[in-house]
Amino acid sequence: MYRTFLSWRYLRARLTNLIGIVGIAVAVGALIMILSIMTGFLEETKRTVRGNLADLIVSPAQDAQTSAGGPVPRDPRIALEVIRADPRVVAASARLVWYGLLAQGGQRAGTSRDVLTDTEAGRMMGAQLVGVDVLSFERFGYPLLEGVSRLMGWPFRAPLVQDDFDTTDLLLGLDRDPHPKRLGSPVEDPWNPFAPPRTRADIPGPKRASVIVGEQLFSALRMRRGDELELATVVPDPLTGRVSISNRKFVIAGSFRSGENAMDLERIYLERTELADFLGGGLAFSEILVKTQDYDRHGRALQVDLERKLAERGAIWWNGREEDLGAGGQVRTWEDFRRTLLGAIENERVLMAIMLSLILLVAGFTIFAILTMMVAEKRRDIGILAALGAPPGGILATFLLIGLWDALLGASVGALLGVQGALHIDRIEQWLSGVLGVQIFNRDVYFFDRIPAVVEPGPVALIVGGAFAITLCCAAVPAWRAARLDPLVALRYE
Amino acid sequence: MSPMETRTFDPARGGAKHLPAQRPTTGGGQAPNGPLLVVRGVEKHFLLAGAKLPVLRGVDLDLERGESVALLGSSGAGKSTLLHVLGLLERPNAGSVRLDGRECWALSIQERARLRNRAIGFVFQFYHLLPELTALENVLLPAMIAHGRLSYLRNRSNLRSLATQSLTRFGLDRRLTHRPAQLSGGERQRVALARALFNDPALMIADEPTGNLDSTTGAAVLELIFEEQRRRGLTLLLVTHDESVAARCARTVHMHDGRVV
Repeated sequence: MYRTFLSWRYLRARLTNLIGIVGIAVAVGALIMILSIMTGFLEETKRTVRGNLADLIVSPAQDAQTSAGGPVPRDPRIALEVIRADPRVVAASARLVWYGLLAQGGQRAGTSRDVLTDTEAGRMMGAQLVGVDVLSFERFGYPLLEGVSRLMGWPFRAPLVQDDFDTTDLLLGLDRDPHPKRLGSPVEDPWNPFAPPRTRADIPGPKRASVIVGEQLFSALRMRRGDELELATVVPDPLTGRVSISNRKFVIAGSFRSGENAMDLERIYLERTELADFLGGGLAFSEILVKTQDYDRHGRALQVDLERKLAERGAIWWNGREEDLGAGGQVRTWEDFRRTLLGAIENERVLMAIMLSLILLVAGFTIFAILTMMVAEKRRDIGILAALGAPPGGILATFLLIGLWDALLGASVGALLGVQGALHIDRIEQWLSGVLGVQIFNRDVYFFDRIPAVVEPGPVALIVGGAFAITLCCAAVPAWRAARLDPLVALRYE
Repeated sequence: MSPMETRTFDPARGGAKHLPAQRPTTGGGQAPNGPLLVVRGVEKHFLLAGAKLPVLRGVDLDLERGESVALLGSSGAGKSTLLHVLGLLERPNAGSVRLDGRECWALSIQERARLRNRAIGFVFQFYHLLPELTALENVLLPAMIAHGRLSYLRNRSNLRSLATQSLTRFGLDRRLTHRPAQLSGGERQRVALARALFNDPALMIADEPTGNLDSTTGAAVLELIFEEQRRRGLTLLLVTHDESVAARCARTVHMHDGRVV
């Protein structure tokens, strides 16, 4: 009984204990706040870097053999059939990715001869050509309704269907407003993005397919909607086995803004069938984008299942070994694609947690210093307690309990402040920015306009537990010294 | 010596009525009606700069139950060291100390602490009260140590009532909630006396209890000590330099150069 009683009394009697409690509270609160904000950043960044990227991406190794012995099909139909048959899949569409060249100035790329002989080849720019499916058979199923709507001047939008381009990241890029300082020009109808611009309607000549250009590339080459753009690319010739250069003129339907520098500077979208035709018809798709019902719940399981099913149907390469099925080589999740960036943020979060744990250690050392001082100050009391019959274990427990109270009060207050601080971090930041006259969180730098914070119970419990462990360890040393004190030396201490 | 009630410290019963029965520890072989304290051949030396400095040189001493003994001697004679050995605070280098038949220095640390808590009451020259605690809490401290948490909480009101009665008896009924710093020297020593007696010990060791008090206050405190000793029938070992104080004890023991003479 005396242990609890005395420890509490000693705690209340010395204001220096308050320093230790405040230290622990600040450390715990800061750790919870920082970790919550870092977790929020991670989640927001995940959302941002993912964009409208599909949940799963199936990339068959098209030059390899299937389990049946034949080559991997160049047509996506079998793969799409297998994928869409899974009830966990909401949508799937094929995509063709290739690389091309365009001349600076944008309006005229070099001809085959120019590309090969141009001594100023440095003026050529590389571009990633991405062919996507926008129109589906279902869209063609409403010609009457669409015609009537157009006639009446009503907006017509066909219902979204499985292979619609909802699975691609183009739609998000089209929906995003142009950057205020760039010269982007959005397409006329994001739901029918490859429709020729109205400005082309009166221009005589052959009908040309449309392309949508990344906003930065669009701005850098001073393009305009409705302009012609000549692209050149290298395609393999199936007859000779050599590569040949192909070039074709397209019409610029507008620009898109993904928010990613590399994509906005290099990517050009066009319809998959057009791109396949441009490449000579030998290649119909590179990958299939899959959207799932609930990625967090069964994304990984679906990845394994799809790889197995696709391999069994001969839609992807398989070496025939059962143990290699579902290894994730040709069916990847979106996280596999963004692994480096997400890994970097996660690393940053862990590093931050480790660095900030040092604050907790400092708070622990404060408790150590305060208790060491208290033991020195209370030497006489320790002698009296021993004379009254308190065993060394009881004296140890008395001083250890002071550490426990410090940890209990400090960690509780800290956890409360940390959680509340994390939940109201935006208001705190705005108030602080107002008081200091400095913008603490620059909203222009990030894709989000508020400081994200996600309070997770697990890390909070871990931090509070860590605070307890560190404080008790730091309190144990002076408490042990108190217990080892010779009562007579303590009694003679005046 | 006036006839007085003699009492024994019964380990099976416990020292005080409020305490639960104590489990026998080492099992004393001595009859309960023999001397309470038997000291044989106790030696103690300290090492000073590598040299042995003998302080106790084979002390033999018996304290009968209910007896009051004054321990006299010049400074450096070894009185305080003997007191600490008998109070189980300092381990002797040789010899034996048997309290109520039990070899005290053969007990474990916990058992010795328990014995000290229940069988021995200390009164120090400098009172040694805990400054953070009130007078009442200081008196209750030995009971807090003796009781477990639940047992203490169960008996709390009873214990507080006993402590209040004890302090009232010593004229401190208006000082219950005062801290030591708010009390005079005489009052502090009376609180210390109430604390020493709270667990109803069989042996009280008083180390110059009036050495820090003026003569009038000292006389009053001394009167209380002897009155309680007689009333409770406890064994008193009192260290003093004052022959008149020693004369009030039933027996006087002189120490010289680490020996009882």
